[in-house]
Amino acid sequence: MAGEAQSLGYTGCNFLRQRLVLATLSGRPLKIRKIRAKEEDPGLRDFEASFIRLIDKVTNGSRIEINQTGTTLYYQPGLLYGGSLEHDCSPSRGIGYYLESLLCLAPFMKHPLKIVLRGVTNDQVDPSVDVLKATALPLLKKFGIDGESLEIKINRRGMPPKGGGEILFACPVRKVLQPIQFTDPGKIKRIRGTAYLVTRDSVNLTDSENCKIVDESKAQKCRYSVRVSPQMANRMVESARGILNKFLPDIYIYTDHMKGASSGKSPGFGMCLTAETINGTVLSAELASNPQGQGAAVLPEELGQNCAKLLLEEIYRGGCVDSTNQSLALLLMTLGQRDVSKVLLGPLSPYTIEFLRHLRSFFQIMFKIETKTPEEEHMGGEKVLMTCVGIGFSNLSKTIR
Amino acid sequence: LEAEESNSNGFQHSQAKKADSVRQTKLKAVKDEDDDVENLLREEEEYEEKTDLSADTMGALKWKEDLTQKAAEAFLRQQRSTPNLRKLVYGTAVEDEDHESDNADDELGGLFRVSRPDKESKQKANALDCSKFLIEKPQDWDLEEVMSSIRDCFVTGKWEDDK
Repeated sequence: MAGEAQSLGYTGCNFLRQRLVLATLSGRPLKIRKIRAKEEDPGLRDFEASFIRLIDKVTNGSRIEINQTGTTLYYQPGLLYGGSLEHDCSPSRGIGYYLESLLCLAPFMKHPLKIVLRGVTNDQVDPSVDVLKATALPLLKKFGIDGESLEIKINRRGMPPKGGGEILFACPVRKVLQPIQFTDPGKIKRIRGTAYLVTRDSVNLTDSENCKIVDESKAQKCRYSVRVSPQMANRMVESARGILNKFLPDIYIYTDHMKGASSGKSPGFGMCLTAETINGTVLSAELASNPQGQGAAVLPEELGQNCAKLLLEEIYRGGCVDSTNQSLALLLMTLGQRDVSKVLLGPLSPYTIEFLRHLRSFFQIMFKIETKTPEEEHMGGEKVLMTCVGIGFSNLSKTIR
Repeated sequence: LEAEESNSNGFQHSQAKKADSVRQTKLKAVKDEDDDVENLLREEEEYEEKTDLSADTMGALKWKEDLTQKAAEAFLRQQRSTPNLRKLVYGTAVEDEDHESDNADDELGGLFRVSRPDKESKQKANALDCSKFLIEKPQDWDLEEVMSSIRDCFVTGKWEDDK
């Protein structure tokens, strides 16, 4: 990865992660200007600073320069090094924010990456660790990145605002990636999920702001169920099942109640659902309760129902890859061997569209994009078929034994 | 009978041409300087020829039914088709970057600069960096017809004949 390559310039803090990831993989220097330049609180935020530190940790020889106000960032990528690491993620974003980028980089390290991340495992903004575990790992396997060492393990759950969760992510390295032909998602055979509940100390929770409900009887119920915690997870499960059972009998939603040592610093609850097809596609949806002390309280029944409906929306969009993992699939297709890769996606998310543009500027690769209307009537919305020829990226720093 | 057929053939061609020309003007009006127009038109003609052939071989006069509607459908199909999606993704990328406009007229007395509120593009540049694809208009999943729109995505639904 030579340093002479021409540097790329961007403005604004949006898409910071994909820019840094692509700069690292392509070896091209990057300059981002005007990061929140006109806002009252200009410059990089703590979670972005934490992300940059993480990139610095997994690479060797990166040069990072940030000006005094934090509005300009210069990044000259080093080599992806990997190894056993740990990182404290900022609690203002979920661990998913960091993990998504690590999933893009991990297969191309010199040494297999094994990293402990601490922070918020489930929040309302970023894809949760549960969802990434259920969707991204099967996707990596399709590209030939698998083995026993590929895992995401949730040691402790942490909810916003304080976090306190901990996960382990381990990924093997590969020299080359397999091209994929993934155009038939197949039919959904089962739905799995997790209804999780994080409580620290049940006595504290009774008067927590999490149960700020006007209706006194509901408030009583809520308080009661927070105290008798497993009940609350069951209520989420029952309401979600009520909707999903109209489509499929094979539904199992685990209840995961973490308390005491295995729970984080803030209480909360939520649900993740995944729909698995016969061809190994995993579609997902998730919802989390409002952070403690922010917004109105959410009833577990309501959350379960809404989460189930979100899953139905995701199924309507369809495709072979979940909407949050579109960009990961496209990246791995780009970096594959010099062969044709095809994947059928649902409608492209704004994040993915921007990612496609970045792929063009960093790797000079453009996808063939075709819309496909499902042949059968009851198969959801329009799909997009993405085709490209891989650039034949090979991981030269991988040690050969 | 043969005379009649040739007659009908002639009629068909004139009709088709009329429809074609109508479509052409329509197309021209809609996307004037679009460089894909020629491409589109060529595809359009191919499509027209195909239908002609099938009508001839079948010997039926079905092709005559609602020609205008068919023309409208073909037009819409072309409107929605692939080149547009590709253009949507790759066409506008250049405009986003480096759209600096440090205009001199924003300056007051050569010393101060008027700070205008952020425009939409600037806001996008500093928007939240999140990969989730939020649903803008959720459908009402309690309705039977909405539910049936994904019915066959499940193993419990109808299967294609070849499986």
